[in-house]
Amino acid sequence: MELRISPSMSLMEKLNILGDAAKYDVSCSSSGSSRAGDGKGIGNTVKAGLCHSFAADGRCISLLKILFTNECIFDCKYCMNRKSNDVPRASFTPDEVCELTIEFYRRNYIEGLFLSSGILYSPDYTMELICQTLYKLRTVHRFQGYIHVKAIPGAAPELVSKAGFLADRMSVNLELATADGLQQLAPNKHRKTILKPMKLIQNGIAQNKDELVLYRNAPRFCEAGQSTQMIVGAIPESDYQIMSVAESLYQKFSLKRVYYSAFVNVNEDKELPALPGGPPLLREHRLYQADFLLRFYDFTVGELLTQERPYFNMLIDPKADWAVRHLELFPVEVNRADYQLLLRIPGVGVKSAKRIVAARRFGPLTFEDLKKIGVVLKRALYFITCRGRMMYPTKLEEDYIVRNLTYQKEKYPFSPDGMRYEQMSLFS
Amino acid sequence: MTEKYLICEDSLEGVFTGIYDAYALREGHVHNHIQIGEEENLRLFASYLYIRPDCVKTKKVAETIQKRLGTEVYYSICRALATQDAGKGQAVYQTVVDGITNGYGRRVLEHLTNPFVELLFRLSRNAANEIHHLLEFVRFEELRQGILYSKIGPKCNVVSFLMPHFADRLPLENFVIYDEKRDLYGVHPAGGEWYLVSGLEEPVGESAPRSEKEEAYRELFTMFCQTIAIRERKNLKLQQQMLPLRFQEYMVEFVKK
Repeated sequence: MELRISPSMSLMEKLNILGDAAKYDVSCSSSGSSRAGDGKGIGNTVKAGLCHSFAADGRCISLLKILFTNECIFDCKYCMNRKSNDVPRASFTPDEVCELTIEFYRRNYIEGLFLSSGILYSPDYTMELICQTLYKLRTVHRFQGYIHVKAIPGAAPELVSKAGFLADRMSVNLELATADGLQQLAPNKHRKTILKPMKLIQNGIAQNKDELVLYRNAPRFCEAGQSTQMIVGAIPESDYQIMSVAESLYQKFSLKRVYYSAFVNVNEDKELPALPGGPPLLREHRLYQADFLLRFYDFTVGELLTQERPYFNMLIDPKADWAVRHLELFPVEVNRADYQLLLRIPGVGVKSAKRIVAARRFGPLTFEDLKKIGVVLKRALYFITCRGRMMYPTKLEEDYIVRNLTYQKEKYPFSPDGMRYEQMSLFS
Repeated sequence: MTEKYLICEDSLEGVFTGIYDAYALREGHVHNHIQIGEEENLRLFASYLYIRPDCVKTKKVAETIQKRLGTEVYYSICRALATQDAGKGQAVYQTVVDGITNGYGRRVLEHLTNPFVELLFRLSRNAANEIHHLLEFVRFEELRQGILYSKIGPKCNVVSFLMPHFADRLPLENFVIYDEKRDLYGVHPAGGEWYLVSGLEEPVGESAPRSEKEEAYRELFTMFCQTIAIRERKNLKLQQQMLPLRFQEYMVEFVKK
């Protein structure tokens, strides 16, 4: 069954086409699994992950992110590689992928491999090819670095679970937050075929955890968990819808990460919105901020957004936005408040909250100490007291605080005498 | 009481010996200062002691720190001593004193209201950040004999922190990491233990011929870095924020050849 188009391409051309085709996949993390090398092969993994370079768009290059092939039988409207597009097509062979991975890895260019693929012939055929490649990399080349692999929606469960034993992380892209949107833009994909492998991987991970308790050396299944990705701004969904979906993915599918990708209109399809101002990057940024609040700050989506207020405030971040709407809880006394409450103060992150809790055991903290600890005082000063005093005399009023938080030019809103001066603008 | 300045060599041995001798004075710790290297301007009414590094004393201090303050604190101290800061000796000394006399033990680094602990914490974090960056940004080039060679120019003395990571990662490779600012080589023979070499007359790796395929992989990776960027999201400021220029000059994908 050799139907491939243009098989005689140089490695350079292939990498160009298939790297380019993979760039809209957001995930590039290499974190979550920690494994020392066994001394007989090549590679190890680091818990925190390593980013080996940064591209011109500021995104990290941690993994060799490529498609196995960009030939595809699907016709998703947002995708550059849909079958109705006339783009150059290419496919790697398993050996080529192994060679690139190992040679790049030896030179410390990359942390591992991110392998996705267009759907060649059928989901099963593609998944089989991916498994073959990973198997070769892990056994013949004894590669012990990080591997992130996509589960192809619609592939047989045994193939998905086979890939899971070879990879550190697996992901299935949810693509769009609503099932209607998916049907409209990706006619060949269905919510069911996406959620099925997701559930399968979740169960695989849970089962593997039990096995590892009994047998320490049992083969590991997706040690770094699974992630997914949603496109933002291709259909008229609200932030509330997106965040609710993300929250339920974290809770029901125990995902490690949900990625949000600002929609880039590559196909100029009539079903898709025109974006004259470029991709909705600020919206994507707000979604990530909220996502971190869910995962590390014990927020729930219901606290940040509601059916009546379904969009994030574009002027201030979600945490500050929450704080100014709950001024009854503030100001918080830093020397006494519990960890959970410290986390809710704008300008205090997980690290500084932990340091505050640890450092105040030795004695009361001052604003000077907080600054050294890493608290961003220009945001926090409206919400905290140290030993009963605020840093400056401020008003606890929503409008006043929002105005000051969005006032970018000045670091602190007051001069040393406690007054604030501004140039009057008479003619603008 | 006169102020005493213990002048130590800029190394772990130097500072640890200084700490040992400062304790041996038995005059309390408030008036003792550990200083690294000679100072240009001498102080009036201060006495100066010159400390010669001593490996027995170093070992005793290292063991005491690990026993009384824990391994984590010990590693933080090692990292802080890899930085260039002039106050690092005093920061380490006073932190050790704070931890041992007050019985804080392994929690001593949480005592951030103590300015010396805070300085040690900050220095250790600076070094840790640079180590982490270099684990990511070190680029190896393959020489003709198959040896992997990398040149770095870090602010802190980090080679000995990088070697264990790469020795675990590339156990079957011969590789060398060369710190050009300190003229220090970290060498790892395939299947063996790594070691440090310094004092070579001229740098050995720069002029050595590269392997045949080296150029091809360099080009492949450079091209990959360019294609993976999304044009519509271009943000060079963010790129530079994540990957400062001082690292870029050593990285294949940014160096024009």
